Amino acid sequence: MSFRQRSPHGSTRSSPQHPPRWAQARKRGADGKRRRQDEPESSAFEENKPGPEDSRLDSFTTPEGPGPRSRCLDWGTAVEEDEMRTNVHKEIARHRRKLLINEFSRERKSSSGSSDSKESTVTVELETDEVVLMRRQKQINYGKNTIAYDRYIKEVPRCHRIPGVHPRTPNKFKKYSRRSWDQQIKLWKVALHSWDPPTEGGCDLQEICPVDLGEMETESVGSNSTESQTSCQDNDDTCSGTPTKVRHVDYQAEGEFDLEVCLSEPLKEFDTVS
Amino acid sequence: MGETGKEEYKIQSFDSETQKLLKTALKDPSNVDLEKVANIIVDQSLKDSVFSKEAGRICYTIIQAESKQVGQSIFRRSLLNRLQQEYKEREELRTRSLQAWICYVTFICNIFDYLRVNNMPMMALVNPVYDCLFRLAQPDSLQKEEEVDCLVLQLHRIGEQLEKMNSQRMDELFSLLRDGFLLQEGLSSLSQLLLLEIIEFRAADWKMTDAAQKYYYSEVTD
Repeated sequence: MSFRQRSPHGSTRSSPQHPPRWAQARKRGADGKRRRQDEPESSAFEENKPGPEDSRLDSFTTPEGPGPRSRCLDWGTAVEEDEMRTNVHKEIARHRRKLLINEFSRERKSSSGSSDSKESTVTVELETDEVVLMRRQKQINYGKNTIAYDRYIKEVPRCHRIPGVHPRTPNKFKKYSRRSWDQQIKLWKVALHSWDPPTEGGCDLQEICPVDLGEMETESVGSNSTESQTSCQDNDDTCSGTPTKVRHVDYQAEGEFDLEVCLSEPLKEFDTVS
Repeated sequence: MGETGKEEYKIQSFDSETQKLLKTALKDPSNVDLEKVANIIVDQSLKDSVFSKEAGRICYTIIQAESKQVGQSIFRRSLLNRLQQEYKEREELRTRSLQAWICYVTFICNIFDYLRVNNMPMMALVNPVYDCLFRLAQPDSLQKEEEVDCLVLQLHRIGEQLEKMNSQRMDELFSLLRDGFLLQEGLSSLSQLLLLEIIEFRAADWKMTDAAQKYYYSEVTD
């Protein structure tokens, strides 16, 4: 789902701003239509003359509304974004509550004479930028909207998760650089592939491969899985599985350590991990 | 779903094959072409005024079912986009068939009433709904009793919510209604009555006062 989905029918509402200089070099106008080469001065409000009923600038901003909406004209997408936005706000509130409650109970414990020299809970700065949070949430949704994730959460309840072994959804409320966040998402999604449904005729993969999720170098692998996964999501609304990797042939033939294959093996008996 | 189900969702007017499809959509949405279902529902709501008044309910249930079963919103998206398509061509719709236009307005208001997003009405529908009501308040529409009746009915059902979302447009709408009541030529006495009642209703903060109840409704025969 694109954040700036264009409707094939409608005209955009124009804004009474002077077009930025870079707009003239753009391939497409604000309505998504390709601009002709001989339209150097073309700008958003020249291309689209609002009709009599469309004299409002931005249909989705109301005086009492919570704020400006993206100028997305597709009702389906507009509502989905609304939903994501309100969900994000609910989650921010919940997250803040959680932190406060943790702080509160820790203070209670320390006052009863806990000997741990825990660092005092400094108020950490949270990520509150709506745009960032929504982008991150979308990325998380892509990962969670997979058969692998479904199988994972059925197999390993949250209380049984072992940190470092079981993938953990990145926390969208923490401050991270864009690069750092994108990398965390990649690693997380790669790790989830361990729970892909078995391919037909696949070998019985009982072997455990202890992997330190924090340090693996998965640049190429990550991008493959992310791309194929997102393209799967984008192209087919009903597609909810991740592509399963071809696994056992190369592994057995070469007899050397193949990271990609290793990651695709489900971690079944984790108690044999050294 | 037995007779009560049919009654509840008002799907008696569909043929039996379609009824089966709808029932499956309600129970097992992932096994149904939800875009097709959305189109069937919109098509019917433009033809069947009884259905258009209550179709929001079946839509709500399908959306919940889909969300629960597969965590997606294909049906909602298809429904809204089809609604948007019809909205864009509403003037032509009205020219083609007054009944269908009235059904459309009833339907979109019902959807606005029923479908919420995290307990809030859908922001994306606020202005389109207002646009439809403004159209109904135009002089040519005020001369048609069925359109006045539709306008007043929708304001009774969703006026209060709509005003919360944008009170300025509600003020403007009622300006038109007052003007219509006072100045419009060719207004039938029934239309005048309907307009007066809704003006009073809003003035009483969208509530029925005893006096109004007595005046407008106590003479109605059962």
